[in-house]
Amino acid sequence: MMPEQTEQVGLYVLGTMEDADRADFGRAMRADPALQAAVDRLAAHLQHLDDTAAPAPVNSALWQTIESKLDGASASENVVAFPTHRRALPQWYGIAASAVIALGIGYLAGSMTTTAPREPLMIAVLLNEGDAQPGAIVEAFADDSIRLVPLEDFAVPEGRILQVWTLPDAGTGPVSLGTFSDPHTINLTGPELPEPASGQLYEITLEPAPGSPTGRPTGPILVKGFARPPV
Amino acid sequence: MLRLMSDPHDAELLLPRIAKGERSALAGLFQVESGRLVAVAQRILRRRDLAEEAVQEVFVAVWHRAGQFDPLRGSARGWLTTMTRNRAINMLRDGSRMDYHDSTTLADMGDRAVDAQEAFDALAERDALRICLEQLDEPRRRAVLLCYVTGLSHGEAAATMQAPLGTIKAWIRRSVVSLQECLS
Repeated sequence: MMPEQTEQVGLYVLGTMEDADRADFGRAMRADPALQAAVDRLAAHLQHLDDTAAPAPVNSALWQTIESKLDGASASENVVAFPTHRRALPQWYGIAASAVIALGIGYLAGSMTTTAPREPLMIAVLLNEGDAQPGAIVEAFADDSIRLVPLEDFAVPEGRILQVWTLPDAGTGPVSLGTFSDPHTINLTGPELPEPASGQLYEITLEPAPGSPTGRPTGPILVKGFARPPV
Repeated sequence: MLRLMSDPHDAELLLPRIAKGERSALAGLFQVESGRLVAVAQRILRRRDLAEEAVQEVFVAVWHRAGQFDPLRGSARGWLTTMTRNRAINMLRDGSRMDYHDSTTLADMGDRAVDAQEAFDALAERDALRICLEQLDEPRRRAVLLCYVTGLSHGEAAATMQAPLGTIKAWIRRSVVSLQECLS
């Protein structure tokens, strides 16, 4: 690095460059990794001075102001993409998936106070097809079993039954995890499958009793959602 | 899920979650870092309300730019400190919001000299920065500390130290080069 650049690095980190010089130097720095590294190095040393400041007491009003300036849009834009399936799925799934994450966090927080004997590998909040309201929660365990907690009272007409499905991957296709007719918390054990994965689809359809005649969903989808691992 | 909020590595763990849009992670970062950052900004801006305004803008920026944090360039705390310092110094230089021509100016300058000296005194005995700052002549060290810790411009440092502007500029230019040589 040129001696003149060393001086500029120093003035930049010190914060005493004139505005125009500062903008020029900022551009030069972004184009020159060695210059950038020199700035980062000196800044890391000088920040020991900042670290001597005794933390100020901060009131919650400051956080509330910050929170009011976060637009919801950027939060949902930034939601992590699901590793599987996502690309091929329609727009609606993206909205549902965001809601699943939000709801999943709330649900987990609520369940922390209870002592759960076993931990689910994945949790999916299944959303109502019509209004995207949560309709059921699925906890999927490593032993091919799930615990299903209905959040709404599904109307099941005479001669029909509720059937729970998952889509481990596109190649395997939908797999039935079991049927039920009276909405309450139930445990179901499906066939032997790979361990439930993040982004795996779960859904409940309305089928003719005693279950789909074809082994695949035939009736209307009532609720569906994607699995996420608990933190 | 619960972790000690005083762990300095928290910021490292929280930034990736903030980048994914987790508001609770930003709240966690606020809990860990906001008090420290307000104090850093207040050394520069003097007024508590302005320091809080700077920190508020930093957290909103972190919400949008957490994904740009590059751990190879430095620590997450350092990244936050740099953003806060830059914001505070911009507000200070902008000047339209601060009146430095009123009667409190001289008192403010006095406080700054105290803050700058206290920051230096609080450095650990074996801190390389302390050792290298000690190698500078006293007035040069004081000029560097006034500029860095309290955000003074060369002109303000000259006024505070009652030295000619040209002298201050020369001191600082030479001092920042010696510092980097000593620290390398």
